[in-house]
Amino acid sequence: MTENLVDILGSPLIQRAILASVLCGASCSVLSVFVVLMKMPLIGVSMSHAAFAGAVFAMLLGINPVSGGFIMCLITAGVLGPLSDRTDMAPENILGIMFSFLMGLAFLGMGILTRTKAGAFNLMWGSLLSLSGPDIAILVFVTSLLVLFVLFFFKEIRLVLFNRRLAAATGLPEKAIYYTVLFLTGAVVSSNLTTVGGLLIFALLVQPGATALQLTYNLKHFFVISTASGIGACLSGLTLSYIFDVPSGSAVVLMATAIFAAAYIFSPKRNATKLKEREHE
Amino acid sequence: MNRHVIEFEGITVRKGNNLLLDNISLSVSSTEFVGIIGPNGAGKTTLLNVIAGFEQFSGTLSLFGHQESRKRDRQTRLRIGYVPQLFQIDPAFPILASEAVVTGSIGRLGLFRSPGREEMERAMRLMEMMRMAHLADRPLGQLSGGERQKVSLARAILQQPDILLMDEPTANLDIAVQKEVLDLICEIHTRQDLTLLLVTHDVTMLPAAMRRAVLLDNGKKIYDGDIDTAMSSETLSRLFQYPLETFDRNGKRFVSYD
Repeated sequence: MTENLVDILGSPLIQRAILASVLCGASCSVLSVFVVLMKMPLIGVSMSHAAFAGAVFAMLLGINPVSGGFIMCLITAGVLGPLSDRTDMAPENILGIMFSFLMGLAFLGMGILTRTKAGAFNLMWGSLLSLSGPDIAILVFVTSLLVLFVLFFFKEIRLVLFNRRLAAATGLPEKAIYYTVLFLTGAVVSSNLTTVGGLLIFALLVQPGATALQLTYNLKHFFVISTASGIGACLSGLTLSYIFDVPSGSAVVLMATAIFAAAYIFSPKRNATKLKEREHE
Repeated sequence: MNRHVIEFEGITVRKGNNLLLDNISLSVSSTEFVGIIGPNGAGKTTLLNVIAGFEQFSGTLSLFGHQESRKRDRQTRLRIGYVPQLFQIDPAFPILASEAVVTGSIGRLGLFRSPGREEMERAMRLMEMMRMAHLADRPLGQLSGGERQKVSLARAILQQPDILLMDEPTANLDIAVQKEVLDLICEIHTRQDLTLLLVTHDVTMLPAAMRRAVLLDNGKKIYDGDIDTAMSSETLSRLFQYPLETFDRNGKRFVSYD
C-alpha cells in the first residue's frame, strides 16, 4: 500500500498535477478575497466567460488559447472598469449584459469551430492531470504576480476593499489598484482555463473567500484561510478524481463547496452573532 | 492669519442635462465651521465632492491658494479629510474598529510602508480622546451606526487634514446619538483648529460651533452668512417649501414644524 502510494507520488504526471493543483488553488483563492470582499462575483463570471470566449476564438484562429483568453479578459476589464464606475447605469445590469454577450460569443465560436471541438470542451472544465510545461510556467508567473501584489500593497488593498471612495479621499491610487485587480482577474482566469476550465473556475473565485468570511475578522488570516481552503479543495478534488476516475474540475468544485458548507455550519462568527441575538431577546 | 483655504469662482457641475451646481462662488477661511444646508437634491453633496476631488466641474477652484482641477496631487488630497454618510458594511467584513481608524494614516505613509506601532498608538490616543477606546478590538461591521460614524471621524482626523468635509454625518442616527456625534465634531473643531464643512438637511439638529451657513436650493446659492440670520422662519420655510417656525430659548435658536 505504502509502496503503491510512493509509486503514484513518484510519477512525473502526478507530481505535475499536484503542482498544478497548488498553483490553481493558490491563484484562484487569493483572487477570491477580492471577489468576495469587493462584492464582485459577477465580474468573476464575466471574466471567466471572456477567457473562455477568447480561448475558443484563439483556437479558431490557430493561436494559443491561453493568450486568446487573456487578451479577451483584458478587453473585458477595460470595458467593465469604467462602466461599473458609472452612476447612470446599475452595475448588475452592465455585468448581466456583458456576461450573456460573452457567453453568446463563446458558443458562437464553438458553433463555427468545425475541428478540435474536444479541445474547446476541455477549456470549459479543464484538467489538472494534463498540463504542459508552459501551462505550469504561466501559472507560476501569474500566481507569483498576484502574491507579490498582495504582499507589497497590503495596506492599500485593505482600504480599497473596505471603501474605494475613502481610499481615494486618503490620497491612494485606488483606481490603479482596482484596475490591477481586474487585470489580475483576467490573468488568473485565463491561465486556469487549462486547470479547471472557463465554466468551473467561477466556483474557485467565490468559495475560498466565502469560506474565509465565515471564519475570521483578520484580513491577513482571511488571505491565509482562503488560500488554504482553495489549495485544499484542489488537492482533495485531484485525489478523488484519481481514485474514482471522475473529471478533476468537477471534483475540485464539489470539494470547494463541501469546505464552504463545513465553514458555514461551524462558523464561530455566525455562532457568536446568533448567541448575541439570543441574549438580546 | 485667516486666509482663504477654499475659494469657488463660478463653479458649475453638470450631469447630462441636469445642472447640479449653478455658478457657485464661495470663500471659506481657515478654521471656519460652515454648514452647507438645503433640501434633498439641492447640490450639497456635489459641492463637497468638488472640494474632495470626486467631481468634474467648470469654473475656478482654489484650495490652499492653489488652483485645482478634479485631479489632485497626493499632498493636497492628504490635507482634506472626508467623512461620508453612514454606509452599509457587511457585519462579517474583516476589519476591526482600530484598524479602520489606522487606515487614516496610510495616505501619509506612502507606498511600501506599513502602519507600525507609532500609528497604532496615535490611533489609540485619538480613540481615547473621542471616548471610544473600548471599541478598538470590535469588528467594525458589528458596531452601531453612531459608533461607526465616530470611527469614521477618528479615521479622518488621523489623516491630519486641514479641511474636514462631512457629508450628512448624523443621517440615520437616533436623536441622542446625533447630539453625541455633533458635540464630538464641535470638540474636534476646537481642539484641532480645523476648517469644517458639514452638509446637512436637518436644520433641527445643528452643531453649536457652526457659525456660518450656506443655503443651497436647486444647485444655486441662495444665502451665505451668519447662521442665526439663516435660521429664520421665512428663509427656512422658503428653502424647504414647508412652514417652519423658529424660536429662541436659553440663548439658542430652535426650529420646529407641524
